[in-house]
Amino acid sequence: MFKIENLSVKYPDGTLAVDNFTMNISSGEHIALAGGNGAGKTTLILALAGIIESDGKVIVDNIELNKKNISEIRKKVGVVFQNPDDQLFMANIYEDIAFGPRNLGIDEETIRHRVDDRLKLLNIEHLKYKTALKLSGGEKRMAAIATVLAMKPSVMLLDEPTAFLDPKSRRNLINILKKLPHSMLIATHDLTFANEVCENTVILKYGKIFSQGKSSEILYDNDLMNRGNLEAIENDYNKTTKQ
Amino acid sequence: MADIRSKLTEFYSLEQMSLKNTVIHKIHPFSKLISTIIYIMCVVSLDRYSFQSLSFYFFYPVITIALAEIPFKMIIKRVIIALPFCVFAGISNIIFDKTIIFSIGGFTLTGGVCSFITIMVKSFLCVASVLILIATTPFSKLTLQLKRMYIPDIIIMLIEMIYRYIGVLMMQADSMMTAYKLRSPYSKFPHIKDMGSFIGQLFIHSADRAERIYKAMKCRGYGTLHIKQIQKKRMILNDYIFMSVVCLSSLMFLITGGQLNV
Repeated sequence: MFKIENLSVKYPDGTLAVDNFTMNISSGEHIALAGGNGAGKTTLILALAGIIESDGKVIVDNIELNKKNISEIRKKVGVVFQNPDDQLFMANIYEDIAFGPRNLGIDEETIRHRVDDRLKLLNIEHLKYKTALKLSGGEKRMAAIATVLAMKPSVMLLDEPTAFLDPKSRRNLINILKKLPHSMLIATHDLTFANEVCENTVILKYGKIFSQGKSSEILYDNDLMNRGNLEAIENDYNKTTKQ
Repeated sequence: MADIRSKLTEFYSLEQMSLKNTVIHKIHPFSKLISTIIYIMCVVSLDRYSFQSLSFYFFYPVITIALAEIPFKMIIKRVIIALPFCVFAGISNIIFDKTIIFSIGGFTLTGGVCSFITIMVKSFLCVASVLILIATTPFSKLTLQLKRMYIPDIIIMLIEMIYRYIGVLMMQADSMMTAYKLRSPYSKFPHIKDMGSFIGQLFIHSADRAERIYKAMKCRGYGTLHIKQIQKKRMILNDYIFMSVVCLSSLMFLITGGQLNV
Protein backbone atom coordinates (compact mmCIF):
# COMPACT_ATOMS: atom_id res chain seq x y z
CA MET A 1 0.00 0.00 0.00
CA PHE A 2 1.31 3.41 -1.02
CA LYS A 3 -0.20 6.39 0.77
CA ILE A 4 0.45 10.01 -0.08
CA GLU A 5 -1.08 12.62 2.20
CA ASN A 6 -1.01 16.38 1.63
CA LEU A 7 2.33 16.29 -0.14
CA SER A 8 3.71 19.68 -1.12
CA VAL A 9 7.00 20.61 -2.74
CA LYS A 10 8.33 24.13 -2.77
CA TYR A 11 11.28 25.17 -4.94
CA PRO A 12 13.96 27.36 -3.33
CA ASP A 13 12.57 30.35 -5.27
CA GLY A 14 9.23 29.86 -3.53
CA THR A 15 7.34 28.26 -6.43
CA LEU A 16 4.91 25.63 -5.26
CA ALA A 17 5.63 22.74 -7.65
CA VAL A 18 3.32 20.24 -5.95
CA ASP A 19 0.42 21.45 -3.90
CA ASN A 20 -1.36 19.29 -1.32
CA PHE A 21 -1.24 16.07 -3.29
CA THR A 22 -3.16 13.20 -1.73
CA MET A 23 -3.56 9.73 -3.16
CA ASN A 24 -3.57 6.03 -2.31
CA ILE A 25 -2.23 3.29 -4.54
CA SER A 26 -3.29 -0.18 -3.55
CA SER A 27 -1.18 -3.25 -4.14
CA GLY A 28 -0.79 -4.06 -7.82
CA GLU A 29 -2.70 -0.99 -8.97
CA HIS A 30 -1.41 1.03 -11.93
CA ILE A 31 -2.18 4.75 -11.89
CA ALA A 32 -1.32 7.22 -14.61
CA LEU A 33 -0.19 10.71 -13.71
CA ALA A 34 -0.96 12.93 -16.67
CA GLY A 35 -0.46 16.63 -17.10
CA GLY A 36 1.02 19.21 -19.41
CA ASN A 37 4.64 20.36 -19.33
CA GLY A 38 5.56 21.88 -15.98
CA ALA A 39 2.57 20.35 -14.20
CA GLY A 40 4.86 18.93 -11.51
CA LYS A 41 4.90 15.24 -12.48
CA THR A 42 8.67 14.70 -12.33
CA THR A 43 8.97 16.77 -9.15
CA LEU A 44 6.25 14.68 -7.53
CA ILE A 45 8.02 11.44 -8.49
CA LEU A 46 11.34 12.66 -7.09
CA ALA A 47 9.64 13.78 -3.89
CA LEU A 48 7.95 10.39 -3.48
CA ALA A 49 11.34 8.70 -3.72
CA GLY A 50 12.77 11.08 -1.13
CA ILE A 51 15.19 12.63 -3.61
CA ILE A 52 13.85 16.13 -3.05
CA GLU A 53 12.47 17.43 0.19
CA SER A 54 8.76 17.75 0.65
CA ASP A 55 6.10 18.45 3.25
CA GLY A 56 3.36 15.96 3.98
CA LYS A 57 3.28 12.23 4.45
CA VAL A 58 4.42 9.42 2.21
CA ILE A 59 3.86 5.91 3.56
CA VAL A 60 5.04 2.79 1.78
CA ASP A 61 4.08 -0.56 3.31
CA ASN A 62 3.58 1.13 6.68
CA ILE A 63 6.96 2.85 6.58
CA GLU A 64 6.88 6.62 6.58
CA LEU A 65 9.30 8.54 4.39
CA ASN A 66 11.69 10.49 6.58
CA LYS A 67 15.45 10.87 6.95
CA LYS A 68 15.63 7.92 9.33
CA ASN A 69 13.80 5.53 7.03
CA ILE A 70 15.24 6.69 3.74
CA SER A 71 17.17 3.47 3.06
CA GLU A 72 14.05 1.38 3.72
CA ILE A 73 12.04 3.61 1.38
CA ARG A 74 14.70 3.33 -1.35
CA LYS A 75 14.33 -0.45 -1.15
CA LYS A 76 10.59 -0.24 -1.61
CA VAL A 77 10.23 2.56 -4.15
CA GLY A 78 11.81 2.09 -7.56
CA VAL A 79 12.14 5.03 -9.94
CA VAL A 80 12.51 4.72 -13.70
CA PHE A 81 13.83 8.02 -15.01
CA GLN A 82 12.65 9.77 -18.16
CA ASN A 83 16.03 9.46 -19.83
CA PRO A 84 17.45 5.94 -19.49
CA ASP A 85 20.95 7.33 -20.08
CA ASP A 86 20.74 8.88 -16.61
CA GLN A 87 20.13 5.46 -15.15
CA LEU A 88 22.73 3.41 -17.02
CA PHE A 89 26.10 4.63 -15.83
CA MET A 90 28.12 1.47 -15.28
CA ALA A 91 30.43 -0.28 -17.73
CA ASN A 92 27.81 -2.81 -18.83
CA ILE A 93 24.21 -3.77 -18.23
CA TYR A 94 25.04 -6.53 -15.73
CA GLU A 95 26.89 -4.05 -13.53
CA ASP A 96 24.08 -1.52 -13.91
CA ILE A 97 21.45 -4.00 -12.76
CA ALA A 98 23.69 -5.24 -9.93
CA PHE A 99 24.35 -1.68 -8.71
CA GLY A 100 21.12 -1.37 -6.69
CA PRO A 101 21.21 -4.81 -5.00
CA ARG A 102 24.88 -4.26 -4.12
CA ASN A 103 23.89 -1.06 -2.35
CA LEU A 104 21.39 -3.10 -0.38
CA GLY A 105 24.23 -5.32 0.86
CA ILE A 106 23.04 -8.43 -0.98
CA ASP A 107 25.62 -11.16 -1.61
CA GLU A 108 27.06 -11.67 -5.11
CA GLU A 109 25.51 -15.06 -5.72
CA THR A 110 21.98 -13.77 -5.06
CA ILE A 111 22.72 -10.70 -7.17
CA ARG A 112 23.79 -12.88 -10.10
CA HIS A 113 20.56 -14.88 -9.90
CA ARG A 114 18.51 -11.73 -9.55
CA VAL A 115 20.14 -10.06 -12.55
CA ASP A 116 19.64 -13.14 -14.73
CA ASP A 117 16.06 -13.37 -13.59
CA ARG A 118 15.24 -9.78 -14.47
CA LEU A 119 16.98 -9.98 -17.82
CA LYS A 120 14.92 -13.05 -18.65
CA LEU A 121 11.68 -11.43 -17.51
CA LEU A 122 12.23 -8.50 -19.85
CA ASN A 123 13.64 -10.63 -22.70
CA ILE A 124 16.95 -8.81 -22.76
CA GLU A 125 19.35 -11.59 -21.81
CA HIS A 126 21.44 -10.78 -24.89
CA LEU A 127 22.26 -7.34 -23.44
CA LYS A 128 23.86 -8.69 -20.26
CA TYR A 129 27.47 -7.77 -21.03
CA LYS A 130 26.81 -4.93 -23.46
CA THR A 131 27.65 -1.34 -22.69
CA ALA A 132 24.71 1.08 -22.60
CA LEU A 133 26.41 3.18 -25.26
CA LYS A 134 25.65 0.56 -27.87
CA LEU A 135 21.98 -0.02 -27.10
CA SER A 136 18.92 1.28 -28.90
CA GLY A 137 16.38 3.50 -27.14
CA GLY A 138 14.02 0.57 -26.52
CA GLU A 139 16.78 -1.64 -25.17
CA LYS A 140 17.99 1.14 -22.89
CA ARG A 141 14.48 1.57 -21.53
CA MET A 142 14.17 -2.14 -20.80
CA ALA A 143 17.59 -2.18 -19.15
CA ALA A 144 16.60 0.82 -17.00
CA ILE A 145 13.46 -1.01 -15.88
CA ALA A 146 15.55 -4.09 -15.09
CA THR A 147 17.83 -1.99 -12.87
CA VAL A 148 14.82 -0.99 -10.81
CA LEU A 149 13.19 -4.44 -10.76
CA ALA A 150 16.40 -5.95 -9.42
CA MET A 151 15.80 -4.08 -6.17
CA LYS A 152 12.45 -5.87 -5.75
CA PRO A 153 10.49 -2.68 -5.06
CA SER A 154 6.86 -2.81 -4.01
CA VAL A 155 6.05 0.43 -5.85
CA MET A 156 7.42 1.61 -9.18
CA LEU A 157 7.41 5.24 -10.24
CA LEU A 158 7.94 5.70 -13.96
CA ASP A 159 8.65 9.07 -15.52
CA GLU A 160 7.59 9.30 -19.18
CA PRO A 161 8.44 5.66 -19.93
CA THR A 162 7.42 5.90 -23.59
CA ALA A 163 9.71 8.84 -24.34
CA PHE A 164 12.24 8.04 -27.12
CA LEU A 165 10.49 4.77 -28.04
CA ASP A 166 9.41 3.65 -31.49
CA PRO A 167 5.95 2.03 -31.84
CA LYS A 168 7.28 -1.52 -31.58
CA SER A 169 9.34 -0.82 -28.46
CA ARG A 170 6.39 1.07 -27.02
CA ARG A 171 4.15 -1.94 -27.60
CA ASN A 172 6.74 -4.21 -26.00
CA LEU A 173 6.90 -1.89 -22.97
CA ILE A 174 3.10 -1.90 -22.63
CA ASN A 175 3.05 -5.71 -22.63
CA ILE A 176 5.82 -5.88 -20.04
CA LEU A 177 4.27 -3.29 -17.69
CA LYS A 178 0.91 -5.03 -17.87
CA LYS A 179 2.58 -8.25 -16.77
CA LEU A 180 4.37 -6.75 -13.76
CA PRO A 181 2.59 -7.21 -10.43
CA HIS A 182 3.99 -4.04 -8.83
CA SER A 183 1.98 -1.00 -7.85
CA MET A 184 2.83 1.73 -10.34
CA LEU A 185 2.53 5.47 -10.69
CA ILE A 186 3.30 6.39 -14.28
CA ALA A 187 3.88 10.01 -15.26
CA THR A 188 3.12 10.34 -18.94
CA HIS A 189 1.89 12.52 -21.78
CA ASP A 190 1.07 9.45 -23.80
CA LEU A 191 -2.59 9.08 -23.00
CA THR A 192 -3.30 6.01 -25.15
CA PHE A 193 -0.44 4.32 -23.32
CA ALA A 194 -1.92 5.46 -19.99
CA ASN A 195 -5.30 4.10 -21.02
CA GLU A 196 -3.86 0.69 -21.86
CA VAL A 197 -1.66 0.24 -18.83
CA CYS A 198 -3.46 2.08 -16.02
CA GLU A 199 -6.92 1.55 -14.63
CA ASN A 200 -7.06 5.04 -13.14
CA THR A 201 -5.64 8.40 -14.13
CA VAL A 202 -4.85 11.52 -12.15
CA ILE A 203 -4.56 14.78 -14.05
CA LEU A 204 -2.11 17.23 -12.56
CA LYS A 205 -2.26 20.93 -13.32
CA TYR A 206 0.04 23.53 -11.73
CA GLY A 207 1.02 20.95 -9.09
CA LYS A 208 -2.54 20.27 -8.00
CA ILE A 209 -4.87 17.38 -8.72
CA PHE A 210 -7.10 18.78 -11.43
CA SER A 211 -9.13 15.66 -12.02
CA GLN A 212 -9.03 11.93 -11.39
CA GLY A 213 -11.04 8.91 -12.37
CA LYS A 214 -11.14 5.85 -14.54
CA SER A 215 -8.73 6.12 -17.46
CA SER A 216 -11.33 4.77 -19.86
CA GLU A 217 -13.59 7.68 -18.98
CA ILE A 218 -11.59 10.82 -18.31
CA LEU A 219 -8.96 10.36 -21.02
CA TYR A 220 -11.67 10.54 -23.68
CA ASP A 221 -13.25 13.66 -22.24
CA ASN A 222 -12.31 16.35 -24.73
CA ASP A 223 -13.34 19.31 -22.63
CA LEU A 224 -11.69 18.05 -19.44
CA MET A 225 -8.45 17.21 -21.24
CA ASN A 226 -8.31 20.61 -22.90
CA ARG A 227 -8.71 22.33 -19.58
CA GLY A 228 -5.94 20.11 -18.19
CA ASN A 229 -3.55 21.22 -20.99
CA LEU A 230 -3.82 17.81 -22.63
CA GLU A 231 -5.44 16.35 -25.70
CA ALA A 232 -8.11 13.68 -25.31
CA ILE A 233 -7.73 10.29 -26.93
CA GLU A 234 -9.60 10.31 -30.20
CA ASN A 235 -12.77 8.29 -30.38
CA ASP A 236 -15.60 8.58 -32.90
CA TYR A 237 -17.36 11.23 -30.87
CA ASN A 238 -14.20 13.35 -30.43
CA LYS A 239 -13.40 13.09 -34.12
CA THR A 240 -16.85 14.41 -35.06
CA THR A 241 -16.70 17.33 -32.65
CA LYS A 242 -13.19 18.27 -33.88
CA GLN A 243 -14.38 18.33 -37.46
CA MET B 1 31.22 12.44 -33.24
CA ALA B 2 31.85 8.75 -33.76
CA ASP B 3 35.39 9.39 -32.59
CA ILE B 4 34.42 10.56 -29.10
CA ARG B 5 31.85 7.77 -28.81
CA SER B 6 34.37 5.13 -29.85
CA LYS B 7 36.92 6.58 -27.44
CA LEU B 8 34.33 6.31 -24.69
CA THR B 9 33.59 2.70 -25.59
CA GLU B 10 37.32 2.06 -25.57
CA PHE B 11 37.60 3.77 -22.20
CA TYR B 12 35.09 1.38 -20.66
CA SER B 13 36.37 -1.65 -22.57
CA LEU B 14 39.01 -2.25 -19.91
CA GLU B 15 36.32 -2.59 -17.28
CA GLN B 16 34.43 -4.92 -19.60
CA MET B 17 37.42 -7.24 -19.28
CA SER B 18 36.70 -7.53 -15.56
CA LEU B 19 33.75 -9.81 -16.28
CA LYS B 20 35.91 -12.61 -17.59
CA ASN B 21 36.19 -15.78 -15.61
CA THR B 22 39.90 -16.57 -15.54
CA VAL B 23 41.99 -17.67 -12.59
CA ILE B 24 43.04 -14.05 -11.90
CA HIS B 25 39.47 -12.75 -12.15
CA LYS B 26 38.36 -15.31 -9.58
CA ILE B 27 40.82 -14.05 -6.98
CA HIS B 28 39.23 -12.09 -4.15
CA PRO B 29 39.19 -8.30 -4.84
CA PHE B 30 40.75 -7.63 -1.44
CA SER B 31 43.69 -9.87 -2.25
CA LYS B 32 44.25 -8.15 -5.61
CA LEU B 33 43.89 -4.70 -4.10
CA ILE B 34 46.42 -5.34 -1.33
CA SER B 35 48.83 -7.04 -3.75
CA THR B 36 48.66 -4.06 -6.11
CA ILE B 37 49.24 -1.56 -3.30
CA ILE B 38 52.25 -3.48 -1.94
CA TYR B 39 53.63 -3.98 -5.45
CA ILE B 40 53.37 -0.24 -6.23
CA MET B 41 54.94 0.69 -2.89
CA CYS B 42 57.88 -1.62 -3.57
CA VAL B 43 58.34 -0.31 -7.11
CA VAL B 44 58.37 3.33 -6.06
CA SER B 45 60.66 2.58 -3.10
CA LEU B 46 63.47 1.35 -5.31
CA ASP B 47 66.49 3.62 -5.61
CA ARG B 48 66.49 5.97 -8.59
CA TYR B 49 69.71 4.47 -9.98
CA SER B 50 68.71 0.84 -9.66
CA PHE B 51 66.80 0.44 -12.86
CA GLN B 52 68.34 -3.01 -13.38
CA SER B 53 66.48 -4.22 -10.24
CA LEU B 54 63.25 -2.97 -11.74
CA SER B 55 63.44 -5.63 -14.41
CA PHE B 56 62.38 -8.21 -11.80
CA TYR B 57 59.16 -6.33 -11.28
CA PHE B 58 57.99 -7.12 -14.79
CA PHE B 59 57.03 -10.55 -13.45
CA TYR B 60 53.72 -9.28 -12.05
CA PRO B 61 52.24 -7.51 -15.09
CA VAL B 62 53.49 -10.13 -17.55
CA ILE B 63 52.20 -13.13 -15.62
CA THR B 64 48.85 -11.62 -14.60
CA ILE B 65 48.13 -10.23 -18.07
CA ALA B 66 48.80 -13.65 -19.55
CA LEU B 67 46.75 -15.53 -16.96
CA ALA B 68 43.88 -13.04 -17.09
CA GLU B 69 43.80 -13.26 -20.89
CA ILE B 70 43.92 -9.49 -21.28
CA PRO B 71 45.35 -8.30 -24.59
CA PHE B 72 48.83 -6.81 -23.91
CA LYS B 73 48.07 -4.14 -26.48
CA MET B 74 45.13 -2.93 -24.44
CA ILE B 75 47.30 -2.28 -21.37
CA ILE B 76 50.28 -0.91 -23.31
CA LYS B 77 48.08 1.58 -25.19
CA ARG B 78 46.75 3.00 -21.96
CA VAL B 79 50.11 3.08 -20.20
CA ILE B 80 51.58 5.05 -23.09
CA ILE B 81 49.07 7.83 -22.41
CA ALA B 82 50.60 8.31 -18.95
CA LEU B 83 54.22 8.31 -20.09
CA PRO B 84 54.46 11.86 -21.53
CA PHE B 85 53.66 13.22 -18.06
CA CYS B 86 56.56 11.19 -16.67
CA VAL B 87 58.85 12.56 -19.39
CA PHE B 88 58.13 16.05 -18.11
CA ALA B 89 58.75 14.91 -14.55
CA GLY B 90 62.04 13.20 -15.34
CA ILE B 91 63.59 15.34 -18.08
CA SER B 92 65.24 17.73 -15.61
CA ASN B 93 67.20 14.81 -14.14
CA ILE B 94 69.10 14.43 -17.42
CA ILE B 95 70.05 18.10 -17.36
CA PHE B 96 71.05 18.48 -13.71
CA ASP B 97 72.37 15.08 -12.62
CA LYS B 98 75.69 14.60 -14.42
CA THR B 99 77.12 11.95 -12.04
CA ILE B 100 78.80 9.28 -14.13
CA ILE B 101 77.52 5.82 -13.30
CA PHE B 102 79.72 3.95 -15.74
CA SER B 103 81.44 4.43 -19.04
CA ILE B 104 82.20 1.93 -21.77
CA GLY B 105 84.42 3.16 -24.56
CA GLY B 106 83.15 6.57 -25.47
CA PHE B 107 79.72 5.97 -24.00
CA THR B 108 79.04 7.28 -20.52
CA LEU B 109 75.85 6.72 -18.62
CA THR B 110 75.07 9.60 -16.31
CA GLY B 111 72.97 9.39 -13.16
CA GLY B 112 70.44 11.70 -14.82
CA VAL B 113 69.80 9.33 -17.71
CA CYS B 114 69.69 6.41 -15.31
CA SER B 115 67.13 8.05 -13.03
CA PHE B 116 65.14 9.21 -16.04
CA ILE B 117 64.86 5.63 -17.30
CA THR B 118 63.97 4.49 -13.78
CA ILE B 119 61.16 7.03 -13.55
CA MET B 120 59.78 5.91 -16.89
CA VAL B 121 59.94 2.22 -16.00
CA LYS B 122 58.49 2.80 -12.54
CA SER B 123 55.58 4.76 -14.02
CA PHE B 124 55.05 2.07 -16.60
CA LEU B 125 54.89 -0.66 -13.95
CA CYS B 126 52.68 1.29 -11.54
CA VAL B 127 50.16 2.34 -14.17
CA ALA B 128 50.15 -1.15 -15.66
CA SER B 129 49.47 -2.76 -12.28
CA VAL B 130 46.53 -0.44 -11.63
CA LEU B 131 45.14 -1.11 -15.10
CA ILE B 132 45.45 -4.84 -14.50
CA LEU B 133 43.55 -4.43 -11.25
CA ILE B 134 40.73 -2.60 -13.07
CA ALA B 135 40.71 -5.13 -15.90
CA THR B 136 40.37 -8.05 -13.52
CA THR B 137 38.04 -6.63 -10.87
CA PRO B 138 34.70 -4.85 -11.43
CA PHE B 139 34.93 -1.22 -10.33
CA SER B 140 31.99 -1.57 -7.96
CA LYS B 141 33.69 -4.46 -6.15
CA LEU B 142 36.85 -2.41 -5.80
CA THR B 143 35.03 0.48 -4.17
CA LEU B 144 33.25 -1.99 -1.91
CA GLN B 145 36.63 -3.30 -0.77
CA LEU B 146 37.80 0.24 -0.10
CA LYS B 147 34.70 0.68 2.04
CA ARG B 148 35.55 -2.50 3.91
CA MET B 149 39.04 -1.12 4.49
CA TYR B 150 37.46 1.86 6.26
CA ILE B 151 38.60 4.36 3.64
CA PRO B 152 36.48 7.49 4.31
CA ASP B 153 33.21 7.51 2.36
CA ILE B 154 33.93 10.93 0.92
CA ILE B 155 37.11 9.66 -0.76
CA ILE B 156 35.37 6.60 -2.20
CA MET B 157 32.52 8.77 -3.44
CA LEU B 158 35.02 11.12 -5.05
CA ILE B 159 36.72 8.22 -6.86
CA GLU B 160 33.36 6.87 -8.07
CA MET B 161 32.13 10.25 -9.18
CA ILE B 162 35.30 11.10 -11.11
CA TYR B 163 35.21 7.71 -12.81
CA ARG B 164 31.59 8.10 -13.89
CA TYR B 165 31.91 11.80 -14.64
CA ILE B 166 34.48 11.12 -17.36
CA GLY B 167 31.82 9.21 -19.30
CA VAL B 168 29.19 11.89 -18.70
CA LEU B 169 31.53 14.63 -19.84
CA MET B 170 32.54 12.75 -22.98
CA MET B 171 28.95 11.91 -23.90
CA GLN B 172 27.94 15.53 -23.46
CA ALA B 173 30.91 16.71 -25.52
CA ASP B 174 29.93 14.21 -28.20
CA SER B 175 26.36 15.54 -28.48
CA MET B 176 27.53 19.16 -28.47
CA MET B 177 30.20 18.50 -31.09
CA THR B 178 27.58 16.90 -33.34
CA ALA B 179 25.28 19.88 -32.94
CA TYR B 180 28.19 22.24 -33.63
CA LYS B 181 29.40 20.41 -36.73
CA LEU B 182 25.90 20.25 -38.19
CA ARG B 183 25.71 24.01 -38.12
CA SER B 184 29.33 24.60 -38.98
CA PRO B 185 30.10 22.08 -41.73
CA TYR B 186 33.56 23.47 -42.62
CA SER B 187 35.16 23.18 -39.20
CA LYS B 188 36.25 20.00 -37.48
CA PHE B 189 36.57 21.58 -34.05
CA PRO B 190 34.87 24.55 -32.44
CA HIS B 191 36.41 27.80 -33.67
CA ILE B 192 38.53 29.60 -31.10
CA LYS B 193 35.92 32.38 -30.82
CA ASP B 194 33.25 29.79 -29.93
CA MET B 195 35.49 27.80 -27.62
CA GLY B 196 34.70 29.81 -24.47
CA SER B 197 30.97 29.36 -24.66
CA PHE B 198 31.36 25.77 -25.92
CA ILE B 199 33.42 24.71 -22.91
CA GLY B 200 31.27 26.74 -20.53
CA GLN B 201 28.10 25.14 -21.83
CA LEU B 202 29.75 21.73 -21.79
CA PHE B 203 30.42 22.03 -18.08
CA ILE B 204 26.99 23.43 -17.28
CA HIS B 205 25.22 20.68 -19.25
CA SER B 206 27.39 17.90 -17.91
CA ALA B 207 27.02 19.14 -14.34
CA ASP B 208 23.27 19.07 -14.86
CA ARG B 209 23.49 15.56 -16.29
CA ALA B 210 25.78 14.40 -13.51
CA GLU B 211 23.23 15.61 -10.99
CA ARG B 212 20.50 13.58 -12.69
CA ILE B 213 22.74 10.52 -12.64
CA TYR B 214 23.47 11.09 -8.96
CA LYS B 215 19.73 11.23 -8.30
CA ALA B 216 19.29 7.94 -10.17
CA MET B 217 22.07 6.44 -8.07
CA LYS B 218 20.47 7.63 -4.84
CA CYS B 219 17.15 6.10 -5.94
CA ARG B 220 18.91 2.76 -6.11
CA GLY B 221 20.20 2.96 -2.58
CA TYR B 222 23.56 4.64 -3.22
CA GLY B 223 25.09 5.96 -0.03
CA THR B 224 22.76 4.09 2.29
CA LEU B 225 24.88 0.97 2.67
CA HIS B 226 26.50 0.71 6.06
CA ILE B 227 29.86 -1.00 6.44
CA LYS B 228 28.27 -3.72 8.60
CA GLN B 229 25.78 -4.58 5.86
CA ILE B 230 28.46 -5.45 3.31
CA GLN B 231 28.32 -9.15 2.61
CA LYS B 232 31.84 -10.41 3.14
CA LYS B 233 32.91 -13.00 0.62
CA ARG B 234 35.41 -15.22 2.43
CA MET B 235 38.93 -15.43 1.08
CA ILE B 236 40.03 -18.90 0.12
CA LEU B 237 43.47 -20.52 -0.05
CA ASN B 238 44.10 -19.35 -3.64
CA ASP B 239 43.52 -15.73 -2.61
CA TYR B 240 46.03 -16.00 0.21
CA ILE B 241 48.56 -17.71 -2.04
CA PHE B 242 48.21 -15.00 -4.71
CA MET B 243 48.57 -12.22 -2.17
CA SER B 244 51.59 -13.85 -0.47
CA VAL B 245 53.40 -14.56 -3.73
CA VAL B 246 52.97 -11.04 -5.08
CA CYS B 247 53.70 -9.23 -1.82
CA LEU B 248 56.61 -11.39 -0.68
CA SER B 249 58.32 -11.46 -4.05
CA SER B 250 57.90 -7.69 -4.42
CA LEU B 251 59.46 -7.18 -1.00
CA MET B 252 62.19 -9.70 -1.76
CA PHE B 253 63.16 -7.90 -4.99
CA LEU B 254 63.20 -4.65 -3.08
CA ILE B 255 65.49 -6.00 -0.39
CA THR B 256 67.78 -7.92 -2.71
CA GLY B 257 67.89 -4.87 -4.94
CA GLY B 258 69.72 -3.72 -1.81
CA GLN B 259 68.93 -0.05 -2.06
CA LEU B 260 65.81 0.68 -0.09
CA ASN B 261 65.22 4.38 -0.61
CA VAL B 262 64.17 5.43 2.87
